[in-house]
Amino acid sequence: MSQPNAFVPGPRPQIAEPGPWSFPTPRRTTLDNGLEVVSYDLPGQHVISAGLVLDVPLAAEPRELEGVAAITCRTLDEGTTKHSTDEFAELLETAGAGFGLDVSSAGLQLILDVPSRRLDAALDLFAEAVTIPALAGPDIDRQVQLRLAEIGQARANPSQAAAIAFRRTVFAAGTRYARMNDGEPDTVAAVDAEAAQRFHHDHFGPRGSKLILAGELPDTVESLVEQHFGAWSGDHQRTVDHRPPEPGARRSVIVHRPGAVQADLQFGGFGIDRTDPRWADISVASYIMGGAFLSRLNGVLREELGYTYGVRMGFNPLRAGGTFSVSGSFRTEVIGDALTRARELLSIKDQPFTPAEVKDAVTYFAGVSPLRYATADGVADQAAIQALALLPDDYLDQRLAKLRDVTPESAAAAYESLVDPDQLTLAIAGDADKITEPLQQAGFTDIEIIDLEG
Amino acid sequence: MTSAGTSARLDYPVAEHVLDNGLRVIASPDHATGSVAVNLWYDVGSRHEEEGRTGFAHLFEHLMFQGSANVKSSEHFALLQPAGATVNATTWFDRTNYFEALPAGGLDLALWLEADRMGSLLTALTAENFENQREVVKEEKRQRYDNVPYGDVMELILAQVFPEGHPYRHTVIGSMDDLNAAGVEDAREFFRRFYMPNNAVLSIVGDVDPETAFAKAAQYFDIVPAADRPEKLITDPLPPLTGLPRVETTQDVPSEAVYLTWRLPADRAPGFDALDLGFGVLGQGQSSRLIKSLVRGREIAESAYASAMGLVGGNSLGMVGARARAGTTPEELEDALLSEIDRLAAEPPTEAEVERAKAQTERHWMQELARIDSRADQLSGFATLYDDPQLINTRFAEVEAISPGEVSEAIAEWFTPERRASLIYRKEGR
Repeated sequence: MSQPNAFVPGPRPQIAEPGPWSFPTPRRTTLDNGLEVVSYDLPGQHVISAGLVLDVPLAAEPRELEGVAAITCRTLDEGTTKHSTDEFAELLETAGAGFGLDVSSAGLQLILDVPSRRLDAALDLFAEAVTIPALAGPDIDRQVQLRLAEIGQARANPSQAAAIAFRRTVFAAGTRYARMNDGEPDTVAAVDAEAAQRFHHDHFGPRGSKLILAGELPDTVESLVEQHFGAWSGDHQRTVDHRPPEPGARRSVIVHRPGAVQADLQFGGFGIDRTDPRWADISVASYIMGGAFLSRLNGVLREELGYTYGVRMGFNPLRAGGTFSVSGSFRTEVIGDALTRARELLSIKDQPFTPAEVKDAVTYFAGVSPLRYATADGVADQAAIQALALLPDDYLDQRLAKLRDVTPESAAAAYESLVDPDQLTLAIAGDADKITEPLQQAGFTDIEIIDLEG
Repeated sequence: MTSAGTSARLDYPVAEHVLDNGLRVIASPDHATGSVAVNLWYDVGSRHEEEGRTGFAHLFEHLMFQGSANVKSSEHFALLQPAGATVNATTWFDRTNYFEALPAGGLDLALWLEADRMGSLLTALTAENFENQREVVKEEKRQRYDNVPYGDVMELILAQVFPEGHPYRHTVIGSMDDLNAAGVEDAREFFRRFYMPNNAVLSIVGDVDPETAFAKAAQYFDIVPAADRPEKLITDPLPPLTGLPRVETTQDVPSEAVYLTWRLPADRAPGFDALDLGFGVLGQGQSSRLIKSLVRGREIAESAYASAMGLVGGNSLGMVGARARAGTTPEELEDALLSEIDRLAAEPPTEAEVERAKAQTERHWMQELARIDSRADQLSGFATLYDDPQLINTRFAEVEAISPGEVSEAIAEWFTPERRASLIYRKEGR
């Protein structure tokens, strides 16, 4: 039987400093048609991750057809001029490949994951989907209907509903950024095959595009890419200027969910991007405030008070500008007190960041990097972020160096220049009949109930 | 590189050593990243819970972060995160796992922390910590299950598929009533019953040689005394369902939905892998039959899937689900799903279909093993459940060896319309 007294451990071990680390350096070549090939050879990573990044901002979409970028991307793997929808799906999956996509305000990304020995076959199909997709009427129409159903699912989910309400408020009203990347119902419903084909014709092309490949790559990888993408023509390709986001006017809104047992919130404001000189400082500050498990917010609202399963604060950078928010789900009964306390915790006037807090944040960021970027998809994802945000290949190395220069004072200065706890935008999905009054008592006297369908 | 057409040969190193107190230690060196993953499986999951105490294994997992003799409440995170660690724990039907991955210079700290809570959790457990984490877990339940559409699907399905008193009849998160009724004494009893070195597996994967890993494991864990190990929980396999159990629920959901479920053989029991591939052929991927016929062809479903969830306690769970497009009734959708399941017999999975299902399985498996933290988790799992950590190298070959004929045979035995349970979600106000 267990004898508790027998347990006498030695002193707590010290941590040995991690060795030097840097993000891998890619090999770069450019095909004659302008497509840039960015290769990361990672021995031992047997599943290759490829990302084709297109310099097509959402500003490229006609206002009345927003969502056309997403619908086009979603239909790329539904047949080509060479293969029917079913044939294409069968070929891709026989190659053991997975196809994915990411639609962001700064550009589009098409993603391929495939075991290394099947790269040739999969890359052939990937190129086919990107360069000569069928984008046929029935498939586009179906993707439109599926997107509309997806919006219905998103609005019914409280954390997604709060996020939708937050972006409508934190970005300037009437701008593209205030609306969902994949399109709102009215404009999605207007997308048809002609619109998708035109969008593809005008905006898909090799110029300005980057094909990122990470994993255990064959020596012949560049010639493979040339073989499959070399004939891709950029003759029709149009270039579209990027438009930075603008901040919206501060508001407090509730998305009413009758009977909800929790209130899901997004509480934040307009932020900065990774090229801002304050980026390292604000990364440290927001980690201390709401990134670490024992952050100031989670340490109190979860670990002391048991109000939530978890609350976090994060800065979400865009190519230019960005947002930040505190997010979490709180039981209905405590939402007023939770927000009051959150606002107190968010103020650093009487609770300055300490040297120990800053040091812990910096060593955390440095320590997690080697593992986060150890896999093919980890490297490819980061390389795509860098491509979309126009960051250099050694961005992460520079970032870690800058993090080491952060002081409590510089973190506080950046934080106070961006976060005013009394001037934040609030979006909550919850039972308005129960939470309106507590929110008013907590100081949100301007709270409005909004309808996401309005 | 291997040549085209043959599957990848996996040869991750696997070394084993058992400490005197019964703690099984597995080491698998990988020097590529300078990082190390520490992973502990305790052989206790929600299936070990007693009636009236559902959700307890998971609630207990939270308490493991509330301090031990030499670690203050939440200090586990406070020490490991600044060392560059990702840290967490999860509870499932068949196990509870605790893990951290960090630069190799933090290995000693990680092991010391895990040993401290294995050896002395009860010294630090207080009523106050218990109350706090009970509230946190209740918020987790509200956030993940009670306050989202279809959040009760697992609860409804398990009660259809497994009989009263069966270990898989209740969800891992448990019931609010049981969480409310639990007390700190229950937690103490739970720890004494299940948390001991001889009921755990420790995997250390990454930038450390096996000899060093074993020496460090001994250095920190040797002082944790062995205890009376709970008897292995053996659950007899149940035959397929009969009587077409059916539940209908009307809720505020965005789309009407149908979930059909089956009892299947236990994970890795004869027939399971074949059925797993059969479910893949039916409803995984763009080329699967359900996507082809219901989502694309007839356009009656906004989504459709089929999957086999492997469990070790006698039976696994098979699920086929779809959400209806506007204008399609749940009955029409259920009929369409059933006719595709019938068609698995009339037009058996072809060689090509089975190959595609295998190819997808292979990619997911290779991606899983690409990370040292998930590789460590697989090692702990295979050692705990099957006494064979080498399965990380050989498991896929077992799947690859299945023939289309075996898939058909297993489908005929287990996966037919009359052996299902049906769960229907209707929209309110219709």
